[in-house]
Amino acid sequence: MNNCSSYILCLIHLLVLNGSSRKCWPQIYEGRRKIHFTFTDGSELAEEYDFKSDELIVRKWKRKGTLGGHGRWEMEVGEQHAPVNLDVEGLVESNVNPIFVRKDTKSHYQWRIRNLPYPIANYNVTVKQEDRQIVISTVNKKYYKKFGIPDLDRCSLPLEQAAVEVAHANNTLIISYKKPGTVLDFEKKMMMEIKKLKASKDGDVDCTPS
Amino acid sequence: MAAATAEKVQEIREVTRIERIGAHSHIRGLGLDDALEARQVSQGMVGQVKARKAAGVIMEIIKEGKIAGRGILIAGQPGTGKTAIAMGMAQALGTDTPFTSIAGSEIFSLEMSKTEALTQAFRKSIGVRIKEETEIIEGEIVEVQIDRPATGTGAKVGKLTLKTTEMETIYQLGQKMIESLTKEKAQAGDIVTIDKATGKITKLGRSFTRARDYDAMGAQTKFVQCPEGELQKRKEVVHTVTLHEIDVINSRTQGFLALFSGDTGEIKSEVREQINSKVAEWREEGKAEIVPGVLFVDEVHMLDIECFSFLNRALESDMAPILIMATNRGITRIRGTQYKSPHGIPIDLLDRLVIISTQPYEEKEIKQILKIRCEEEDVEMNDDALTVLTRIGMETSLRYSIQLITAANLVCRKRKGSEVDVDDIKRVYSLFLDESRSTQFLKEYQQEFMFNEMTQEEMETS
Repeated sequence: MNNCSSYILCLIHLLVLNGSSRKCWPQIYEGRRKIHFTFTDGSELAEEYDFKSDELIVRKWKRKGTLGGHGRWEMEVGEQHAPVNLDVEGLVESNVNPIFVRKDTKSHYQWRIRNLPYPIANYNVTVKQEDRQIVISTVNKKYYKKFGIPDLDRCSLPLEQAAVEVAHANNTLIISYKKPGTVLDFEKKMMMEIKKLKASKDGDVDCTPS
Repeated sequence: MAAATAEKVQEIREVTRIERIGAHSHIRGLGLDDALEARQVSQGMVGQVKARKAAGVIMEIIKEGKIAGRGILIAGQPGTGKTAIAMGMAQALGTDTPFTSIAGSEIFSLEMSKTEALTQAFRKSIGVRIKEETEIIEGEIVEVQIDRPATGTGAKVGKLTLKTTEMETIYQLGQKMIESLTKEKAQAGDIVTIDKATGKITKLGRSFTRARDYDAMGAQTKFVQCPEGELQKRKEVVHTVTLHEIDVINSRTQGFLALFSGDTGEIKSEVREQINSKVAEWREEGKAEIVPGVLFVDEVHMLDIECFSFLNRALESDMAPILIMATNRGITRIRGTQYKSPHGIPIDLLDRLVIISTQPYEEKEIKQILKIRCEEEDVEMNDDALTVLTRIGMETSLRYSIQLITAANLVCRKRKGSEVDVDDIKRVYSLFLDESRSTQFLKEYQQEFMFNEMTQEEMETS
């Protein structure tokens, strides 16, 4: 009953009601509950929940490009573990750079930026309500990042500066955003909905998530 | 010390690899004025006034982009500038109009059928202008670091540090990116954009912070502000992709990678049909427009009868590009048949073509071309030598005399001369036989060569 938005909940109902998209039943694998959706426009959504704690570990999207073809997985929550081939990519961010990962807890949306050794006084985290984005800037001009909270966008809830907390420890900058009450309710319902879906046995699925 | 020299040699080798001089690299356009009249000498083109004017008219058709599937045949003797005219057209059309150049024999491959190769060539010549959102990296270069492995061979390792006014990021570079960075001569202080999907690097200019008065810079050096905000941005760009590229992207998973390796294989006809209807849809919605390009088939007599009948049909499609062909054959056998036909092309296809013919060059034209080539190859040559070389060009062939420029320049450099003179030309003329002297030699000594023990029928050369 961690992070799930009303959007996903609506989506589930939509799927069950009119079956406009193909969907795989949850698959339980390596202690994770995996769900995979394919929408009518060809884009895909995959989610992974911890089986015991029901925490959202991974949520990723794969959208079709303008010219067609398969896009690549874009991580909304969780870390990309797929190996990168430097010669195929051409250029890859070096791993000494700050690494930005979203990793939620039950009550907060949370972003962790690793490899940021500077003390906490160096960071400014501000909410830009007009752009619906949170901006991290640094006094020493080494790091800058703009990001939104897709969950809140989908529910069209406002972003509030008061909900943001910043901490820094072990070379990691941690930004937390307190989930609004409505979202928490939705997520609870959503998780129940997911648990109701019949889980298939290991490997016994008609499509391969991720 | 030795290591330093080796380093230097490698560096030089790299530079020359990037800027090589090809047979037609002096061609910059068709050399026409606004009224489509051909200037006698312009943009690397000399003479062939009528053919160039004709090509100019064709250019207008292409630029208008309304007429599909016209065929043009450029016919003429060897060394009369057929390929040069096609190259000139390609240059004049600019980079936004697809121009595919193949040789007739290129389509015979074991990997794909002839018609597949032709279809791919056709589809490479049709562009689609479409708006697409791409991820770009835009920033000022802080540092480029490219390390060669100690052994001298093997993969290079590269690191690129970019910054904006707000942040700084280090990137690791793959081989392709290292190459294009060296090609663009990108250095610290340049503002660049890198298209993440295609790896294309564009230099925007120098950073204002690097504008110091003691730096030597070209007149075109532009100064730009260091970008703000994040390094990686999503931007909508309008660009031209060819139908073939869309085919490949859609034909398999991770498809676009095949474009880099060149290994695209055959593409299913269902995929093509799907793309065609998709493109038609985009056109109706006003999302995309078609940019018909040019397919140039050199040595077209090497195509066989099957290809020709395929071309007959393919030219009728409304998605067909302008097809330009070149041949140096007279009346000869059509490949794959026993029939003879003008240019080795069946009459029914010839009927669908308009034919531009090129004439042999005159003496002063040859002189002019040789002069242009000397400039292109950075060769100083005195007038006497040029006159002698022109004579050689008249008596043997233009190509042969162009070859002699490079050789004579080397001979001149070896004797530490500053200008190629008549003696250098004489020297290389005696060193390298031209085709007619070689034939003469063979006729005289035929008996002493291999496999002449038995008398044989005269070999047919085609």
